[in-house]
Amino acid sequence: MITKDTLVEDILRQYDVMAYFIKNGVSPFSCAGAYPESLGRLLEIKKVKDADAFIQGLNKYIVGQH
Amino acid sequence: MEKYIDSSYQLFIDGKWVNGKEGKTFNSYNPANGELLATCVDAGKEDVDLAVKAAWKAFDSWKNVSPQERARMLLKIADLIDENTEKLAMVETLDNGKPIRETRNIDVPLSADHFRYFASAIRTEEGHATMIDKDTLSIILREPIGVVGQIIPWNFPLLMAAWKLAPALAAGCCVVLKPSSETSLSALELFKLLSEVLPPGVVNLITGKGSGAGNYMLEHEGFRKLAFTGSTEVGYTIADAAAKKLIPATLELGGKSANIYFPDAPWDKAIEGLQMGILFNQGQVCCAGSRVFIHEDIYDRFLEEAVKAFENIKVGLPWEEDTIMGSQINNTQLKKILSYVEVGKEEGARVATGGYQIKDNGLEKGNFMKPTILVDVKNSMRVAQEEIFGPVVCFIKFRDEEEVIKMANDSEYGLGGAVWTKDINRAFRVARAIETGRMWVNNYNNLPAHAPFGGYKKSGIGRETHKVILEHYTQMKNIYISLTEEKFGLY
Repeated sequence: MITKDTLVEDILRQYDVMAYFIKNGVSPFSCAGAYPESLGRLLEIKKVKDADAFIQGLNKYIVGQH
Repeated sequence: MEKYIDSSYQLFIDGKWVNGKEGKTFNSYNPANGELLATCVDAGKEDVDLAVKAAWKAFDSWKNVSPQERARMLLKIADLIDENTEKLAMVETLDNGKPIRETRNIDVPLSADHFRYFASAIRTEEGHATMIDKDTLSIILREPIGVVGQIIPWNFPLLMAAWKLAPALAAGCCVVLKPSSETSLSALELFKLLSEVLPPGVVNLITGKGSGAGNYMLEHEGFRKLAFTGSTEVGYTIADAAAKKLIPATLELGGKSANIYFPDAPWDKAIEGLQMGILFNQGQVCCAGSRVFIHEDIYDRFLEEAVKAFENIKVGLPWEEDTIMGSQINNTQLKKILSYVEVGKEEGARVATGGYQIKDNGLEKGNFMKPTILVDVKNSMRVAQEEIFGPVVCFIKFRDEEEVIKMANDSEYGLGGAVWTKDINRAFRVARAIETGRMWVNNYNNLPAHAPFGGYKKSGIGRETHKVILEHYTQMKNIYISLTEEKFGLY
């Protein structure tokens, strides 16, 4: 279960979720590597309006893959 | 093929190769075939602290080394890089996935030249002196800022290490450098050479994850300056860390640069320039020409020739001599690029060529992308506004100068760009009108020392590859001298 506090590095290492991130306007990986802090912090920097909805959708996406 | 890579590496702290205190490691893999290359240390907090302490210990004497002696060392470093060209080139190719023709002919020579440029720059650096009035002398000197923390990306690992280290050392600073955990190997090999020249502690190398070693560097109170090349998102984090400590940070961040073609563009060079702009380094370049604006009079012919050129690009194993484009850095980045192609299609763009992963001809185990052109793109689309960081270019038609300047500037970024025309007045008009730190005219992605490089807007703060960066690594000291023994009469 991914939360605001989950490290983006850990998310990318464990799950195949790039398509979800990009579709929803957030790039978790760049020339600096995986974003080095929490998902919540990344969503804040990207000014995602509803971070909870993003995270909920992400968790559903992961469940849907399995 | 000789591999030149050790099976494992340590950290470089205080002139010695040492294990990490926490015993954690990570693996480096060849992105072209998934093979394990080496094991590196995943540094912890204590390792960062030891590196910073070593740097401060060395600073006491390093700051007093004469410019002549510092220049001699920088020139020696350049010579060692040249002497080890083949080794450094192959290490970079295997670790990053970029073609050997690029690492051998561009990454390594430019790295050596960077040390030579800054060796020259400091031999001509001088302070100032002026008489404020007949009794008052003002002297301005520049002094090294101290110990600096430097974090570099995976797209040009060796060259970015050179861009950061050369000016910092030239200025008299001591350094703690962290390469990306994706590509630590060429920096590690570079530090073997640096250890032959520099006193212990002047340069220190910390490897590890961004969330670990990287963040420990940002939290450490011992730095007087931070320097970063990477994404805009992480740039915010670096800037925040620097602001909390009231220290400066120079940032070279992302881009979505406009490569602009007028009808009188020198044609063959223009088609090459398109490829230089978006296929060089597999499109993994912060200043990539990822938005191509083509005048409506030449659009159809340009597109036809561009498609032909893209389809003729040999994408292959990067260590093969005839490979033009190698592997993307890893599967995560490849999936990001492919996701953006899908986003583009959903937005109404069309794939004129490419748009898929190459999985045959011995490339099945790697992360190879077909060079891709998206057409029917509007400048407002996400694929035209967001940094994809791969060999995917958006073609956008324009009518006149006013329209293309407006579209080029309609971006949160401002790093690079180019104008292709034989009309010198138009070249200057357009170059000056685009809000970006670098405008190439009739060329693209040339990044030598001696020409300043850096961004406007969300593309960063500060300029590198030019002696002006020495100001960022030094402090200004003013010595204000009263030459009279007469009282002022105030008290």
